Amino acid sequence: MERISGGSPTILPSQRRRRRFALAGLAPLVLWQLVFFVVPLLILLVISFWTMRNYRLEPGFSLENYRAVFADPALWRSLVLSLETAFFVTLACALLGYPVAYFIAKKAGRFRIVLLIAVIAPFWISIVMRISAWRILLGENGVINQALISLGLTSEPLGGLLYSPVSTAIGLVYAYLPLYVLPLYAAIDRIQDSWIDAAKDLNAGPVRAFLEVTLPLSLPGLVVGAVFCFIFGLGEFVTPALLGGGKQLLIAQIIQDEFQRRQDWPGGAAIAMVLLAIVFTLLLLSMRYLRIASGERP
Amino acid sequence: MSATALKFRQASAGSAAFIAYSALIYLFLYLPIVVIVLFAFDAKPVPGLPLAGFTTGWFAQASADPVLVGALLTSTKLAFFSAALATALAMPAAMVLAWFPTRFKSLILCLVLGPVVLPQLVLGLGFVSLLRGAPNLVGEPAIVLAHTTMTASYATMVLYSRLLGFRRSYIEAAMNLGANELTVFREVILPLTLPALIAVFLLAFTDAFGEFIVAWFVAGFTKTLPIVIWTSLRQVISPKVNAISTIIILASLALSVLAQLWVIRQARPSARVGA
Repeated sequence: MERISGGSPTILPSQRRRRRFALAGLAPLVLWQLVFFVVPLLILLVISFWTMRNYRLEPGFSLENYRAVFADPALWRSLVLSLETAFFVTLACALLGYPVAYFIAKKAGRFRIVLLIAVIAPFWISIVMRISAWRILLGENGVINQALISLGLTSEPLGGLLYSPVSTAIGLVYAYLPLYVLPLYAAIDRIQDSWIDAAKDLNAGPVRAFLEVTLPLSLPGLVVGAVFCFIFGLGEFVTPALLGGGKQLLIAQIIQDEFQRRQDWPGGAAIAMVLLAIVFTLLLLSMRYLRIASGERP
Repeated sequence: MSATALKFRQASAGSAAFIAYSALIYLFLYLPIVVIVLFAFDAKPVPGLPLAGFTTGWFAQASADPVLVGALLTSTKLAFFSAALATALAMPAAMVLAWFPTRFKSLILCLVLGPVVLPQLVLGLGFVSLLRGAPNLVGEPAIVLAHTTMTASYATMVLYSRLLGFRRSYIEAAMNLGANELTVFREVILPLTLPALIAVFLLAFTDAFGEFIVAWFVAGFTKTLPIVIWTSLRQVISPKVNAISTIIILASLALSVLAQLWVIRQARPSARVGA
């Protein structure tokens, strides 16, 4: 399969056969993704330039929908709020996840695999079920409030726990923490203990060894985790819809509202395209780190 | 001597802090799951503390509820089709990407990775727009098509990284002995990659089973389990829903842990060869 006999410059039959195999293997998946992934996004892009008249889609080329994203104060506010929330969630996930990833990679010994799988496993449970549990936990008569009252820490239930930007943030951190620990673990696992020991032999204290060896070497994992956490936090719909309370809408809720309730497809499509543009920019900016983290050399 | 003892004590104090901190994070990750399971077995009709007493009645009620059971069967059926289609699309593509020199490889990888990375909401809207041209697909077919697109991406990436570590000398040996491509696939590749294939199928199934947002957009009148749970969340959460969630959660955990163990165990020998 690998060897090409002889050094003849003409294309050998075996080579032609291989090329045909490669084409046949790739074609189904590539065609599938073109039809069900690329084409839908292109349709969405085209619709974002159309207009809505008397509840009917009208083809055309109008930039009005895009102007609205930046000119409509309510839209703009929710876009900014979404970016802020995603940023905060990413930061919280990094701070909460790093020690755990470090612990699993360097200190857990033979429990490594078990602990790693235990971090990822909740991620596979439907997000609707995982997030709905936080309503039982955070509600006015919820588990956390009742626990606080019975411990005597408060006399009145804390009202602001559920249906606020705070509960949305808690839900998002909960939902995407496993996603951040995974690349962090991979990056820290790749750091050889001898490199850290070498720094300590050269009289670096544990803090300095961490700051000058471990942290820079785990940077690809930090960046990749941050990018994915930010992207998913930015586009997430279920968590703010279940925990956010509906007073301050995030951008995903606005898009859903435009499409399903107001039936303004062009308006919703334009906001979706702005969201996609942010996502693509982040991915392009972090491409170098994505390559390093996926095992390819830069 | 006391200096080493001090160092040792510092190190073990550091480890204890690490263990305590990590235990808190694991508590955070599993608290909601524990809560759902706890209230599925509690007699109180509105979930809350203090607990009223142990009961399995909610499970009996859930299994007698035609909407919940119907949605469970629908979700299982659709997720099975999506996972089978996704694995069938992913396997040949992953073999080509891992073993053949391919032109436009990074472009193809980007195309494959796209549905995993982009916001699911946007994918869902894209599907809604696509279905304008094929309104009779709305419902079960559309859900299968959408979930296949999403899970095939993931399946291809996992299989691709597994196949990179596959020893191609096995294939060459079989071919030198006169086997053709089909025989090699059936006799060499398939038996050796079967655990990875099953793992990928299980992960795709779990993912498709629990996916909500895209399914919700294209479902029409079809009700998958996540959609039924979503609808029921508008009212007070019934312990019946917690009971069925408990079953699904335990099944999802079991399937994903099993699949991950397989994937990781497969990864090990190749990692050793690579090092």
